[in-house]
Amino acid sequence: MNFLERQLEDPIRFGRLKRCFYGGLTAIVLAEIILPFIFHGHPHFWFEHIPAFGSLYGLASCVAIIVVSKFLGKKWLMRREDYYDS
Amino acid sequence: MTLDFMTHQWIHPGLLLILGAWALPLLKGWGKRFAMLLLPALALTICLRMTPGIHGEVSFLGLDLVFGRVDKLSLVFSYVFSIMAFLGMVYALHLKDDAHHVTALTYAGAALGVTFAGDLLSLYVFWELMAISSALLVWQRREKSALAAGFRYLLVHIFGGLLLLAGTVLHFSQTGSLAFDNMESFAGSVGWTLILIAFLLNAAVPPLGAWLPDAYPEATVTGAVFMTAFTTKSAVYALIRGFPGTDLLIWLGAAMAVYGVVYAVLENDARRLLAYHIISQVGYMVCGVGIGTELALNGATAHAFSHIIYKALLFMGAGAVLQMTGLRKLSDMGGLYKTMPITLSLYMIGAFAISAVPLFSGFVSKSMVVSAAGYDERALIFLTLTLASAGTFLHTGLKLPYYMFFGKNSDVPGREPPANMLVAMGLAAIACLLIGVMGFWPELLYRCLPHPAEYVPYTVQHVSNTLGILGFTALGFFLLLKQLDPERKISLDTDWFYRRGSLAFVALTARPLARLEFRFVGEIYAFVMRRLVLGGASVLRAFDTHIVDFTAVGVGRLTQASSRILKTTVSGNAQYYGLIMMAGVLVLLVLVMLIR
Repeated sequence: MNFLERQLEDPIRFGRLKRCFYGGLTAIVLAEIILPFIFHGHPHFWFEHIPAFGSLYGLASCVAIIVVSKFLGKKWLMRREDYYDS
Repeated sequence: MTLDFMTHQWIHPGLLLILGAWALPLLKGWGKRFAMLLLPALALTICLRMTPGIHGEVSFLGLDLVFGRVDKLSLVFSYVFSIMAFLGMVYALHLKDDAHHVTALTYAGAALGVTFAGDLLSLYVFWELMAISSALLVWQRREKSALAAGFRYLLVHIFGGLLLLAGTVLHFSQTGSLAFDNMESFAGSVGWTLILIAFLLNAAVPPLGAWLPDAYPEATVTGAVFMTAFTTKSAVYALIRGFPGTDLLIWLGAAMAVYGVVYAVLENDARRLLAYHIISQVGYMVCGVGIGTELALNGATAHAFSHIIYKALLFMGAGAVLQMTGLRKLSDMGGLYKTMPITLSLYMIGAFAISAVPLFSGFVSKSMVVSAAGYDERALIFLTLTLASAGTFLHTGLKLPYYMFFGKNSDVPGREPPANMLVAMGLAAIACLLIGVMGFWPELLYRCLPHPAEYVPYTVQHVSNTLGILGFTALGFFLLLKQLDPERKISLDTDWFYRRGSLAFVALTARPLARLEFRFVGEIYAFVMRRLVLGGASVLRAFDTHIVDFTAVGVGRLTQASSRILKTTVSGNAQYYGLIMMAGVLVLLVLVMLIR
């Protein structure tokens, strides 16, 4: 049994892993909001001044990619695996 | 013809690989394995010790060919191509297949040839050599699907090569020079356009890029690792060299980055998913070439460098799984983290590198292109490229490892691949980390890039912003996990046009053609043969003696007269031949409409 198996198959450890993930996300959002007040970067565009822009845009991108691609696939692009053989 | 491209001053590293490869079949055991590693190591040493300048000038049929244009741009590509050849040979060290080793080294050597080519004709020669040797890497899987995919791949690349040749000839006839440099001053001419299209085809820019996801997953496990590196990236090199600042490339590149991501959502074949992400990543480079500022061109170069290494690592990981389990579809895989933990860990380093996680190579190279879009005040391009990086992490960093190594099927048997494959992956992983960490000393990292441009990858804002994008992409992934379950489907791409569209064209023309043949040609033939020839034979026999004399003179006169007429049509102008071909196709289509 390797390290990963122990982490993933023990429900207590897996729960701890999940909490770490959500904790990490919270820390990232807070960092994104607070750090620009301390370190002044040089953003190129107005939208980069939106608080936690990276986090918001990351989530929006991920959802948009999945929804739009699946829609295109279902309506148009996806075919049976033997499509080119028949 | 003077031969000085292999003198004591300058040895062509590409020719070293191409010619040296033929020594491998003569060697055995350890000697062969040693030579397999020695050749790319020597090539790398030669590249590292090379001095900038013009070497290997050859005068051939009155044309000035340059086999060794050495400057910062060609050097940085030659480093990564030789490193890649070395990594690929380590990965293939266990393979007892001389044909593979010879073709793989030839392929790498041809890529080096493209890199150092200073004129369009020698570029073309190596360009075609790359196409042929890589098609052999597809065929060497020796399966029906690989055979077909290899033929499609070769046809597409021969077509691209012909465009390059036609462009070169037109360019030469216009300018009288074969030199391959910035082509900006010829923008808009036919030659310029053809050469650009040929480069875009090899860079897999849609709609000309469907050959890539079609062929790469059909290649051998080791062959695919080589293929990921050379064809598209040598095309990126050619674009940086010839077409920097071409506006069209900005939009093509950005569209390409998203295009690969969309197809990766739908894809079930592990290596095809990775292939679509090559298109996506090359999109960043093409976009950088289009922006054309010093930072953007440096970014395209740097990203090509890190991309070659992490993409090879990813293909090595997926190839190891394919080799050890025989599975290529994500829907069949799962649970391999128990039996292949080392492969998983090394794969993940590549995945973090392509996703531009801080401390990994993608972070210090991809961001140069994105920042260049920022400095150029192109908001839409900036947002599109950022969206595509979320997509990259979503597929290469989350979806693929989730379904391959974790996921539902937990009873897939597997074990770690042979040691040499793990060593190759380990070396590539170290390179990914090393480049990423070197970003803390930018002046050290960016020293070999072609332009002097200052860029600092590790700023507080950049790191926190990137972590936000990646972290919340991961959140989105786990929230929508059900939607991403791989489906046993394939997706239509522009290869449809030559896989099904051409069939439709043949079906459309076949029946009328058959009818034409049966009704007219057949009838005429029968008439001529039966009535005229056979009937006339007896008559002719009688006049034979007179006619022999008569024809001898007549044919001579006729030939003379007709060649005088022909001389005016055979002008040597490519456009007339093209017109005649087009006319032929039109006549065929008109016949189809009339006879159907």
